[in-house]
Amino acid sequence: MRIFSKLLVTSVFSLSVALGTAHAANEWGIEHEEAKELDGKVVDLACELSGNCPANCGDGKRQLGLLLEDGTLYPVVKGGTNFAGGTDDLIGQCGKSVHVDGLLIKDPLMTIYFVQRIKSKETGEWSKANQWGKSWKAANPGKKLGRWFREDPIVAKIVDESGKLGIPGLVYVEE
Amino acid sequence: MISTFPDVFRSSLGKLKLLPFGFVVVAGVFSSYWTTAIAATSPQRVQIEGEIIDTWCYVTEIMGDAQGTAHHLCAVWCAIGGIPVSILGDDGQVYMVLRVENEDTNVANPTIVKIQTHKVIVDGDLYERDGVKYLFVDQVADDKGVVNLNHEDYGIIPFGE
Repeated sequence: MRIFSKLLVTSVFSLSVALGTAHAANEWGIEHEEAKELDGKVVDLACELSGNCPANCGDGKRQLGLLLEDGTLYPVVKGGTNFAGGTDDLIGQCGKSVHVDGLLIKDPLMTIYFVQRIKSKETGEWSKANQWGKSWKAANPGKKLGRWFREDPIVAKIVDESGKLGIPGLVYVEE
Repeated sequence: MISTFPDVFRSSLGKLKLLPFGFVVVAGVFSSYWTTAIAATSPQRVQIEGEIIDTWCYVTEIMGDAQGTAHHLCAVWCAIGGIPVSILGDDGQVYMVLRVENEDTNVANPTIVKIQTHKVIVDGDLYERDGVKYLFVDQVADDKGVVNLNHEDYGIIPFGE
């Protein structure tokens, strides 16, 4: 089981690295996934649902979604950086229409969207949805983006306080 | 019986008189549909008991069974990375958390990042829309801490460390 998990993770990781050179949405082999280009308005999910609407969709501190012309609302939960969301990629388009490419996953538990590319309205050029990684790299000069989750100071502080298992003092040693 | 032109004309006029009634029926149908649409986005008061999880890994299963101590570290990474956090309810449903108590932000929110993997009981408003259950928590009624100790079975996922 552990070997299988590691193989699976390695495969997913390789796929995500390949994403950087791809020219269309990469499929991940996730059940219920569909490579899908979408046109929609970038909205603050909490605002759209509850009417609590700070300026500029919360300036990147609110989860975003795509509101399609027919009224369908999809939450954008993942962006192109490993272990990171898509808010940084879309916040610059708050309230505006965008054309994006990625994976629409209509799992019975929850429908979610993984944004991989964004098409510029001005030039028609596609750009990768990896703004979170760029921002992290800029804020953490000298550290490796590929290992951001190991080198991030906020993560390190949390792990220091509560351990890798979430319980202070509890340690796992692989046999 | 053979209908003459005046007969047909009078019959058509009779039908025209029914037009206003038809409009009322159509308006009623649309009004009913609209009311239903609004009701679908209205919140429902709920109490949910479950584990705080990482939405992406759990829904997609790319890390296997992404919960408990085995997946805690990855859940912290994803929450810090801005992926939405959810509650895996004891009912098996997944509720995406868009607010916790008085916090007005939900991307890498420090409060919710720190309670990853915790077993909680929360009260809040539930909105259901287009295949997603969105939860606005106004009170964490109970926080039992991390209780799902599955690392002994699975190790640490991913990477084993």
